[in-house]
Amino acid sequence: MRRFISITLAFALVLSLTACFGPPVDPDTVQESIQVIAMDTPMFISTYGRRSTGAAYASEDLIRALEARLSRTEEDSDISRLNAAGGETVEVGWDTYCLLDQAAFFNAETGGAFNIAIAPVVSAWGFTTDSFQVPSQAELDRLLALTDPRGVSPAQLGDAKFTASLEPGQSVDLGGIAKGYAADKLADLFVEYEVPRAMAQLGGNVLVWGDRPDGTAWRVGVQDPARPDEQNAFVGVLNLKNAFAVTSGGYQRYFEEGGKRYHHIIDPATGYPADSDLTSVTVVAEADPDIPRKNGAMCDAYSTGLFIMGEEEALRFWRSRRQQNRENAFELVLVTEDGRVVVTQGLAEAFTLDEGSGYTLEIVS
Amino acid sequence: MRSSPKLRPNGWDALVVLAALALAAGSALAVWSGGRTEAGPGTVVVTVDGQEADRFPLESLLEGPRTYSNNGYTLELAYGLRDAEGPPLDHTPPAGEAGVRAAWADCPTQDCVRTGLITRSGQSIVCLPARIIVQLTGVESEAPGAVDAVVG
Repeated sequence: MRRFISITLAFALVLSLTACFGPPVDPDTVQESIQVIAMDTPMFISTYGRRSTGAAYASEDLIRALEARLSRTEEDSDISRLNAAGGETVEVGWDTYCLLDQAAFFNAETGGAFNIAIAPVVSAWGFTTDSFQVPSQAELDRLLALTDPRGVSPAQLGDAKFTASLEPGQSVDLGGIAKGYAADKLADLFVEYEVPRAMAQLGGNVLVWGDRPDGTAWRVGVQDPARPDEQNAFVGVLNLKNAFAVTSGGYQRYFEEGGKRYHHIIDPATGYPADSDLTSVTVVAEADPDIPRKNGAMCDAYSTGLFIMGEEEALRFWRSRRQQNRENAFELVLVTEDGRVVVTQGLAEAFTLDEGSGYTLEIVS
Repeated sequence: MRSSPKLRPNGWDALVVLAALALAAGSALAVWSGGRTEAGPGTVVVTVDGQEADRFPLESLLEGPRTYSNNGYTLELAYGLRDAEGPPLDHTPPAGEAGVRAAWADCPTQDCVRTGLITRSGQSIVCLPARIIVQLTGVESEAPGAVDAVVG
């Protein structure tokens, strides 16, 4: 009898201990979420899996570390020191070096439309300080002379030493590529932490990793540029797995003067807000950490560059790149001023138009 | 060897065994059946400077708005109903699509106020100057067409 009691109690103890280990949940559905404000934008990151908590906190550390290097407002960041160096060479971190190098590459790719050296012109319009004004043509001419991207010179001196310099008077702003670069780094981190699925929204940049916990694709809404302040006002929804998606549009930041609207995407060719026939450009590409030239930064840079190009040139650019480089293939959702949503062939299946939005859908190949 | 009568199992021992069994089964069942969930009308999570500052059921806003201050700015969160003009007049949970909105803020941008009502899980209200993020989680019924993220 005593043996029976002992066994029963031992069994009961073991059973009660199971409470410590929780329910038999699928570890791939365990979720951790963080919200941070960094790089002047809200960021939301949800990670899943056994190591979701560690991955989420490491994600925040990664973003904070990048911000400390790349911020234009923090005095001791690499970029602030570079901008204040008056043409002298400054030592920078690996990430800053990589970003300056990538920015030069995407500048060349987009025929100059994406240009981080446009910063002095953007500042003259007041977009960095919120004291908006229309600069005089003389001032724009003077500042445009300082936007030659060849003046930005990142260099590698040995294994772990990196420097950069600008021409005197030049300054750079990595706001058009840093969030995409951060998304690339997050993808690397998700591999390191064996994250089976995740979703990161870094301002207007989105990285979807794996699939949703229910096994379906992540649903990414494309904001309707005509209704920028409304939640749930989409031109359509993209169903994506393992993808970066980035949108640029003139509706995101603008001011009005003399009855005219001036938006924040400055055309380096004119110094004026890009006179685009597009209201937004969304660039989508595969998220794969094994791709050497990373797609997150590419999507970020191209969304700005292609907005400046306008519909016709943007589609020509897409067609020309489609065959060339399969690893860095990308697809587009263009919203036009005349009420069309132009979706490139590769997204035809993934994109669902919001029928109530009033736009007409065009699939192009 | 005979055991002392005092050590022989009796009725009280059986009761202890039963109690231990009941406790074990109960605690295991409680966890194995799914444990706590946040299902319902939703939970509001307020993050200030990257730290979770508050977490409360959406319906507790029916008792009155809540204010949060940081970085020299203040915003006030209030209960709201989709397509309703103002807050409901009594404290009973009203019918309709309920959510939270920034009713008032003294920041220069007013982006948080312009965001309007959020009613779905994952939606957020952000006040950049105050570095405050308000997010809704655990809304029971996921509306058709709900998205996981937004580009734009």
